[in-house]
Amino acid sequence: MDFSLLLGVLRFLLATTLILVLTIPTAFVVIQMELKIIAGAQLRYGPNRVGPWGMFQSTIHGFKVLAKEDHIPDQADRATFTLAPWMVYMAAAMSMLVIPFAPGAIAADFNIGVVYFFAVLGLSVVGLLVAGWASYNKYSLLGGLRSAAQMVSYEIPLTLSVVGVVVLAGTLNFRELIEWQRAHGWMLIWQPVALVIFYIASLAEINRTPFDMVEADSELVAGPFTEYSGMRFGFFFFAEYVALFIMSGIMISLFFGGWLAPWPFPDQLDGFIGTVYGVVWFFIKTYIFVAIAVLLRATLVRVRVDQLMGTAWKVLLPLAMVNLLVTAAAVLVFKL
Amino acid sequence: MTIPGLGILKGLRQTARNYWAPKVTNQYPESRPTMPDRWRGRLDLIYDPFGEHKCEVCFQCAQVCPVEAIDMSGFDSSGNRIRYGLPEIYDERKDPNAYRRAGLPAMPMRNAARWDEEIDTPWLRGVIDGFGGKPEALVAIFSAVEERYGYLPERALREASERMSIHWAQIFGAAGLGGFRLLPADGHLVTICTCAACRFAGGDALLTALRADLGIEPGETTADGTITLETSDEVAAGALSPALRIDTLVYGPLTVEQGRHVVGERRKAPVRARSGQPVA
Repeated sequence: MDFSLLLGVLRFLLATTLILVLTIPTAFVVIQMELKIIAGAQLRYGPNRVGPWGMFQSTIHGFKVLAKEDHIPDQADRATFTLAPWMVYMAAAMSMLVIPFAPGAIAADFNIGVVYFFAVLGLSVVGLLVAGWASYNKYSLLGGLRSAAQMVSYEIPLTLSVVGVVVLAGTLNFRELIEWQRAHGWMLIWQPVALVIFYIASLAEINRTPFDMVEADSELVAGPFTEYSGMRFGFFFFAEYVALFIMSGIMISLFFGGWLAPWPFPDQLDGFIGTVYGVVWFFIKTYIFVAIAVLLRATLVRVRVDQLMGTAWKVLLPLAMVNLLVTAAAVLVFKL
Repeated sequence: MTIPGLGILKGLRQTARNYWAPKVTNQYPESRPTMPDRWRGRLDLIYDPFGEHKCEVCFQCAQVCPVEAIDMSGFDSSGNRIRYGLPEIYDERKDPNAYRRAGLPAMPMRNAARWDEEIDTPWLRGVIDGFGGKPEALVAIFSAVEERYGYLPERALREASERMSIHWAQIFGAAGLGGFRLLPADGHLVTICTCAACRFAGGDALLTALRADLGIEPGETTADGTITLETSDEVAAGALSPALRIDTLVYGPLTVEQGRHVVGERRKAPVRARSGQPVA
């Protein structure tokens, strides 16, 4: 009998379950960081009552959402209304499959990991659009349309900036991308323009301030989430913060050496120790970028819709094109 | 020359510094703010057990008020109207609160002389005891009293308060909330709503039509004593604009024709029991 197939299936099931379970504490941690860092930037203490230093505040929020009434509007399209939070959450959770946490700690080590990641993450826009449409509420629909316009526009510079990285490293596999960075230095040095484009576009892609046009609480109530309550709203909320974690994780994998330590010694260990060491560095780097994104939210105001679209099509896209062209030419000329 | 992104970095520096800066939050239950010596919190008048203000208009508070924020008027023990404060500002004040402070009824009371009419006390006690004297039976007791007297006389409410050991203020509040009539009306009381919503939806036309139909102004009673016309801006039937209320029943939304029809039908119906006599 062929046990390798069975083992593969088992490994896949275990990995997906672990990833799904991991999303929940991740969301709690990111939300807690959001609460604390924004409070600090506003000269407040932030949550400091639940648990030591208030560290269980976001957890309590999560359970509170579970206990709340789940209401579906009369005029809503029930089937799609109930499906939408699931679509958004699964888009975030599924894209987590290819995140390289550490050597040997990648749930699915594809040879087309980069393509898979951006394809799956792009699915969340479908969920948001469906949520906006199914709610039977003009604010929801406007939010859904904004999400479609914004996320589709920003996906293009986002993906094009990564193409530069891929051309340089010659692989679509996240593990090999990090191995390349181990040999040649972090991609940050080779592709600084791509990093800038990627960072701006990734903020827009996951609807973070200053590009949170989709939610825009002061204009659209809560965008596509207006009519959602209870755990359905919780799924959207979680997905948003999981997406922030994922984007930071992918960015450090692409540009900041992933699980590699910032100095060469001991840049990669073998076996179980190496995995733990990699995981530690991965999380440190990722949460630094999560913190920066949160600090950005405390600092910047929301941009206008026309500024948002103008930036994507008139600045980021040409810049990404030029960057790709120069990278490709350099690869050809210098036989990198 | 400006460098793109420099402003954002400056902003980030500021927020990051704020994160480490001392916080301004007051941790309330543990650390309490120090209030000025003259801070007295939220002011409220004290009530006696019967729900009357304990304030006797002695002006002591007005005399010691450091910022002269208190003014009032009332009646002294001899029944003379007295006042304290700046006359040029407050004397001409006509809002209901000014009336109440002055000890006057906020609205001119019709038939006020009958507000404290004699009642059939043994009968009322029987009704109250019949319901076991329970507070939750108040509405039923009020209904019985209104059925008999056409309204809720003050003495009946006082008797209920005493018999059921419920504060006068609570009895009075319950009577005011339940859609009961607290004053006797001659015949049917037609109240036209004059709230903004009703006027906008055609309440003015309704009032004009009824005034012409009945030949009376608001506040008056028709010659045959069947209809008393009244206006109020708190019929409280927002969704039914324009609305009118006959006795305790609210009608709406009404066209002018419908309103005239409803009132005309009611005028033909037998008049409610007169005070003191049971319904025939």
